[in-house]
Amino acid sequence: MAKSVIVSLNNQTSSFSISKIDRSKLYPTRKRIAIDENGLPCTRASIALDGSQVIKSGMTAQGYFSDEGRWVPKDEVVGINPDGSLAELYPSTLGIEQKLEGPVNPSDILSFEVSSVYHLGNEGVDDQLQTELTNGNIFRFPFNYGADFNLETAYLLSNSEGTFCLVGNPKLANWIEEAAVFVPDSLVVSDDDDLDFEMV
Amino acid sequence: MTNTIHIANAKGRDASIGILAVKPKAQALPGILNGTLSFRRYFAASENCTDGELQKKFGNDYSNALIEGDPEIDMEVIGRAISDTQTVFLSSDKKLMFAEPNFIDVVYNPDGSEKERRPPIEVASNVNSDIPIKWTGRKIAISEAVRRFMFRRTVQLCHSDGLSFDFLFEMATELEKDKSLVLLGTGEKGSSPLIFQSNGRGYRGFLEGRTDGKRYQLLLHLSDMELKVPSPKSAETTND
Repeated sequence: MAKSVIVSLNNQTSSFSISKIDRSKLYPTRKRIAIDENGLPCTRASIALDGSQVIKSGMTAQGYFSDEGRWVPKDEVVGINPDGSLAELYPSTLGIEQKLEGPVNPSDILSFEVSSVYHLGNEGVDDQLQTELTNGNIFRFPFNYGADFNLETAYLLSNSEGTFCLVGNPKLANWIEEAAVFVPDSLVVSDDDDLDFEMV
Repeated sequence: MTNTIHIANAKGRDASIGILAVKPKAQALPGILNGTLSFRRYFAASENCTDGELQKKFGNDYSNALIEGDPEIDMEVIGRAISDTQTVFLSSDKKLMFAEPNFIDVVYNPDGSEKERRPPIEVASNVNSDIPIKWTGRKIAISEAVRRFMFRRTVQLCHSDGLSFDFLFEMATELEKDKSLVLLGTGEKGSSPLIFQSNGRGYRGFLEGRTDGKRYQLLLHLSDMELKVPSPKSAETTND
């Protein structure tokens, strides 16, 4: 079981249990399955383009390699920031008190790429924080589920269903002027296998 | 994947508009000191040296065989990098299929139980069709929307000429004034979700407008999930 999310507002500490939620826990999901001529499920595999090997489950591994082709063990791997500097390794924030920032502007969440959503269970929530959340206020705090070279951001909010924590990273849209020229880019919208959208 | 959508405004006037992905800021990546790092897939075993095959070959002597030799290592294959590959299917008796298999869709309930099996239903993209994406008129305050829906992605609407600039700038101004998002929908009634690619996921679209002088941001926030608590049965299946 994961450690708790511990946050503080005005020096009053609150603790939440954490449980990840995703679409498949809320709505039906679809999986497309290949079947052979006998109606039995097929197995997906790959074949090298030269046809030399059929690659089945259990035949491959993956890892980091240097320019010279040397396998690099994990403890030699460091984080490199986009500007080329060495990145700090941030430990997990679970079980460690994090200071809440806010209430924040709700629009901030619209400039934020959510990577994970957690439902938070009450393990001892300060009355003031509970009141703020019930009133619709939203708070921000640093979050990392595990150690990582990037420190993610979490938004703490509540609705009639419960208390939630949205984890991710900020994203920036560009301002568009009349003289701007539209240049298409390759959009990444995953072709997932879910279907019915039982909402709104 | 389309780079253009066909959208109508509050007055029902429609236009074809470019879209761009709004991406998160660049992040730190794994690397090594004084060099570059690449992540590669490689062969760890050949077809005859997988755990399953060795169990079949040695039976109860499997552990002894591992102690006495290296039956799991095929020196001709192990460590070879895997680059481009093509997907193939193996039949139920693990033979390579030379004809395309048939497909069925299996639908699962949130608790993991099977709901139904049915022939595949092909779903076409609907954001750039003859019927424009509709401005439903249903507005939701930003403060309510962010506490009710999980927005998975955002695309930014972008004009292609002076007329479409006026069209989008007017939309952005109206939405900014209301501090709200307008729900967009597809189909004749505007009640269906937005599908950006064939057989892709359906999203509810919420349009947000921002302006700064004569500049604008018209952001289409896409949601495929409400912020709800799963039923206890489905929560048990995949907790981490």
